[in-house]
Amino acid sequence: MTIESRRDVFQAIADPTRRKIIDLLSKQPLNLKSIAEYFDISRPAISQQIKILNECGLVDITRAGRETFCSIQPTELKKIADWASRYSVLWEQRIDSFEAYVNTLHTKKNKKNGKSK
Amino acid sequence: MENLSEISKRILTIKKTFNVPRKKIWEAWTKPEHIVQWWAPPGMKIKVVQHEFKVGGKWKYTMPMPDGNEFISEGVYEEIVVPEKIVTSANFKPMTEGVTIQVLFEEKGGKTNFTFSVIHPTEEYCRQQEQMGFYNGWGSSFVRLEKFLGS
Repeated sequence: MTIESRRDVFQAIADPTRRKIIDLLSKQPLNLKSIAEYFDISRPAISQQIKILNECGLVDITRAGRETFCSIQPTELKKIADWASRYSVLWEQRIDSFEAYVNTLHTKKNKKNGKSK
Repeated sequence: MENLSEISKRILTIKKTFNVPRKKIWEAWTKPEHIVQWWAPPGMKIKVVQHEFKVGGKWKYTMPMPDGNEFISEGVYEEIVVPEKIVTSANFKPMTEGVTIQVLFEEKGGKTNFTFSVIHPTEEYCRQQEQMGFYNGWGSSFVRLEKFLGS
């Protein structure tokens, strides 16, 4: 299986440069030149990262004359937020379960000591 | 939309205030006989395989899955300040590896402020994982786990 066939949003955010590009574009659409100005790396390198973001479905590329405009695709971006929140749910359940357990323990202890009914 | 770099660095923080003295909370969090009571999701059995509660010590919990595989949680304690703070590395196989878990216990007038954080790997680590194609596996692992948990 080639890597190309498996591009997804999580691959998109695995790289710090790509995350920064996403951050920039989530505020406003930008042309390639403006994006490149935020980075120390070459414009072709930035262009390559944007190409990956485009293949991951996170960034839309439109060409107007000699300009290349990039804008964010919010539906794909939402997948990341959804994923992060799913992950959170597991921990929230575990911490809730910890809380319930601690409270049960504490109540039992108090009963033994006659501190509560 | 939250800042994505932040999401990817620090996945979540959960804060709670327990109406229970800190010593009790600390014991419930750190003693194996207590851990088995709350760590596993409802309906799942957990076994504490390893529990070296000291800096550099390893911990490992296993949960059997219906397909015969095991869901493994394991890590190495990086910092322990009794009864205030625990920092540990953690791997959750087959879901996610290389996260850091930090738990803070703060006593305040008989109550305990509890702060739990899961800190995502460094950018360098993410990059390595990306090269290994690791991220692509995450989605399906979640689907499997969710199915298993019946949620």
